[in-house]
Amino acid sequence: MSLLAVDVGGLTLKNPVLTASGCFGYGLEYDDFYDVAELGGICTKGLSLHPRAGNPPERICETPAGMLNAIGLANVGVEAFCRDKLPILRERGVTVVANIFASSVADFVAITERLNRETGVAAIELNVSCPNVTEGGIEFGKDARMAGEVTRAVRAATKLPVWVKMSPEAGNIVAVARACEEAGADALTAINTIRGMSIDVEQTKLRLANRTGGFSGPALRPIALRIVWEIAGAVAIPVIAIGGVSTTRDALEFLLAGARAVQVGTANFVDPSAAKRVLDGLRDYCEAKRVDVKSLIGSAR
Amino acid sequence: MSTRVLAKRRLVTLTLLRRESIGGLYHVLTFEDPDGSVALPGQFTMVRGAEWGDAPLLPRPMSYLSAGNTPSILIKVIGEGTLRMGRAEPGEPFTLLGPLGQPWRAPSAGRRVVLVAGGVGVAPLLFLARRLASAGGPKPLAVYGGRSARDLPLDDELAELTELHVTTEDGSKGTRGRVTDVLGELLAPDREVFTCGPDRMMAKVAELCAARDVPCEASLETPMACGYGVCLGCPVPTTDGAYVYACTQGPCIDARRVDWSRGDHAPKKGVHAPRSKP
Repeated sequence: MSLLAVDVGGLTLKNPVLTASGCFGYGLEYDDFYDVAELGGICTKGLSLHPRAGNPPERICETPAGMLNAIGLANVGVEAFCRDKLPILRERGVTVVANIFASSVADFVAITERLNRETGVAAIELNVSCPNVTEGGIEFGKDARMAGEVTRAVRAATKLPVWVKMSPEAGNIVAVARACEEAGADALTAINTIRGMSIDVEQTKLRLANRTGGFSGPALRPIALRIVWEIAGAVAIPVIAIGGVSTTRDALEFLLAGARAVQVGTANFVDPSAAKRVLDGLRDYCEAKRVDVKSLIGSAR
Repeated sequence: MSTRVLAKRRLVTLTLLRRESIGGLYHVLTFEDPDGSVALPGQFTMVRGAEWGDAPLLPRPMSYLSAGNTPSILIKVIGEGTLRMGRAEPGEPFTLLGPLGQPWRAPSAGRRVVLVAGGVGVAPLLFLARRLASAGGPKPLAVYGGRSARDLPLDDELAELTELHVTTEDGSKGTRGRVTDVLGELLAPDREVFTCGPDRMMAKVAELCAARDVPCEASLETPMACGYGVCLGCPVPTTDGAYVYACTQGPCIDARRVDWSRGDHAPKKGVHAPRSKP
């Protein structure tokens, strides 16, 4: 087995570097830059049962070493994804994690059942933590009972590995993580963005039409690292880390804290090849130190 | 709208060859690109100092002022990113991602081109004017406006390439008023307009053109994080009630498709509660 392969809840990834949902489109926007099949995987833009136009502008603004976004889960819908995007990804050998979003348990199950009919989906990631939509979203992820209920329903509806994306806004995130594990999740992804705000003092108004937006980028990293550490210490299933990973060093921090894999998010906006850079650096690191990546996981604990 | 086959996008680290301070808040940054940029007029690039570290985090979308081995951009210092660009010294490395977005459509045969620029929006129009000049043909007409004479960067160069009308709101140069005050008399049926400037200006230009049935192409400006179609941060409302993304479906777009009522200072209904201003 290669130095970089990792096992994530029954799914072997060729390396532990993925891209985060919402920060990588559908993986088809990178033809000019690199072959995304090289990555451990890509998490699609959050897919809903029906297409969504998203929130009105302004949707984004920059903050110190980070940014706020309130995109509102604009996406083509699961049907168009299966028809137009997935066949190309499958053909190219991309490891596809379908990130899905719904405002009811029944719709989460309906999207899952649609994905069951396709080949080429490696895992399903449940977005129970979007801070930017009024219905559903984060409400599922803040509460251990509700997060467990969604997880259990999707678990029962598919043979695919089920990952659950954690909200940092849960009062007790460890309780939510344990509830998802108990409900049959194969892995946990942590963390989604944290709600933030920004005000334009010249125009004396909020910068985002949605008032609040999800805070991401390098400034988020220490908080994400702390939460990943806590969750990884509390559950037996793998944890996949997200939160301000821009460089190989950042990825290593999360792996050493106990994450089984990492997702590169906002950094893709700064450099379309960011995830590839993180991966190449990780390979160099493992080769130079003559270690396989599995032996690094959790070794700072 | 037909989508042309566009050049491959590259992220390159280029050295700043020179920075010319051209008065007020305006600078022209010229880079050294040994491979040569194949950007077309109207396309843009995401620019960031290679040594900025984690802040400012995001690259800034900038229209190309020129391409080739010395691609250049025109900047106006308005925030932290442009402040650093406005202080940059030759030799400093920058990353440029480009060429991005839809260029200006090719001017129609038999129509005379009218360029309508507001302030820093002159950049993609000046690039177009240079291309038109090197292709020969009649000189385009142009209207260029700003608050005052200080807000007309590169007006001398535009004057060389076009039959130029200048307007300033304070009357310090050209006709006192706005571009739309003089545009009306230039809108003959056999003309077509290319415009770039503040939203409110372009909205009014689009309205005048629509009323006279003169084709109008606008270059959109919105905040954006990635510039290549994945962040979805740059939606622009369209007349059919949907959105186009300025980065990939724009920035250059038929002005009739845009719902200009979005205006950059328009109140966002149902979003911001009324509140007293300090």
